[in-house]
Amino acid sequence: MPRYRMLIDSNKCYNCGACIVGCQQRNSVPYGYRRNWVRVDADPDYGFGKGFQPGGCMQCDAPLCVEACPTQATWKGDDGVVLIDVQRCIGCGACIAACPYDARYRHPERGTVDKCDYCASSRHLGIAPACVQLCPAQVRTFGDASDPSSEVAQIAAQQTLTYVESPQSPTKPSLAFVGATTVTNWPRAAALPSPIAAMRVVATGVRYLGALSLFGVIAMFFKQILIPSDDKSGAEIHTPASGKGEKP
Amino acid sequence: MTMIRRHNQSAICMHWFNALCWLFLLGSGFALLAGEMQPIGAWWSELWVGIFGEAGLLVAHIAIGSLWAGIYALYTPLFLRRDVLPFLREIFAVSLRCDLIWCIRKAFWLVMGASGMRKIGMQTQLPAQGFYNAGQKFVAIAAIICSISLVVTGLLLAFSVMQQGLEALVRWALLLHLCCAGLMAILLPVHIYMAACAPGERPALISMLTGFVPEDFAKHHNPLWHASLVEKAGEHNRH
Repeated sequence: MPRYRMLIDSNKCYNCGACIVGCQQRNSVPYGYRRNWVRVDADPDYGFGKGFQPGGCMQCDAPLCVEACPTQATWKGDDGVVLIDVQRCIGCGACIAACPYDARYRHPERGTVDKCDYCASSRHLGIAPACVQLCPAQVRTFGDASDPSSEVAQIAAQQTLTYVESPQSPTKPSLAFVGATTVTNWPRAAALPSPIAAMRVVATGVRYLGALSLFGVIAMFFKQILIPSDDKSGAEIHTPASGKGEKP
Repeated sequence: MTMIRRHNQSAICMHWFNALCWLFLLGSGFALLAGEMQPIGAWWSELWVGIFGEAGLLVAHIAIGSLWAGIYALYTPLFLRRDVLPFLREIFAVSLRCDLIWCIRKAFWLVMGASGMRKIGMQTQLPAQGFYNAGQKFVAIAAIICSISLVVTGLLLAFSVMQQGLEALVRWALLLHLCCAGLMAILLPVHIYMAACAPGERPALISMLTGFVPEDFAKHHNPLWHASLVEKAGEHNRH
């Protein structure tokens, strides 16, 4: 099983936007939305006083979006890519709030969540993601990190990598930057919407109370077989109807 | 042995249809949830996904849920006067003090028996019950409230995908959907035990198949209902 990974040399980027447009075209991303980005930050160390940092879903190894999804619609695949099953997604947006990188959006036509999946629709044909293919400066390197002969594995072995990660919400991103990059502290703290957080508490309550109820009645079933509650007079005693309720 | 009609055919059919739908929807619904939001465990999801497939499970859940809600939407107005209103009248005839006493004493009776209750100084006599006993009434009230909530939130969850800006509402709907399903999952084992396995309840279970209970059983378990039948029969004879 390949282990896909993307490395970005942001020092080569001059913000032409080809990666963004190429991604939008290949993945039919609706107008006004995008799966990837180029951050522009003031940085005197770079030309024009600005530093460019291309990005996208970080395909985290500890993805908070997966933890936040209540319906198993998103998961980390064995190939290292965080995927979305649009047939299971109910568009609740919990994963959008949980992503510290804001790498997800709700598709306005489908109503389900969308994000970078390394162009899964064309990847099985052996075609690299659109952002990798179309970048004129070869900023992005993509490949199977489990294959030591791949370019991505060799760069990872030979170069210093920088990870952009939220200090409040660490997610172990697999996407890394080659050498130094501009700003690294921009990811926000992940937010778990209160109803989704409450669902965890409710599910725990249902688990234990449900087990108590189920095993309680099973225990009662066997208790009644072994030690019946019926006394000599028969079953339990009811107040006669004339009493119209509780007998004083 | 004189037999009395307790349930008519339509009510019996709806009861078993309801039971099958509840079991399927609870099982498949819990299987659709993920991680810490899944009350049973990952094995439960794997079991159901193995049967229906990833996408098929959600489709099956929505399809059976829609069928359940649709049949009830037809049944309620068609059988309003014959089944629905009398049922509602009976289950909401709650006398809180008496009904709570019935539930507590019945539970103690099951656990300790009448002799055990006497030993700790508890009264063994249960308050007289009507057509439904207190336990049945509480479960039925919970089932009605939860069913309405589940249908409303279920429809919202199934069809909100087409609408923008409903994300927050969807999340609250999902929480309410889980709360209602969870409450019923806790109550259902008790209901099944009390109806099918508890000592002395076999005639009540059989009546959910045949529609009839022995008169002695009704007199003993549902004395207020039996008294009202006797009273009605007396009035009928006088006229």
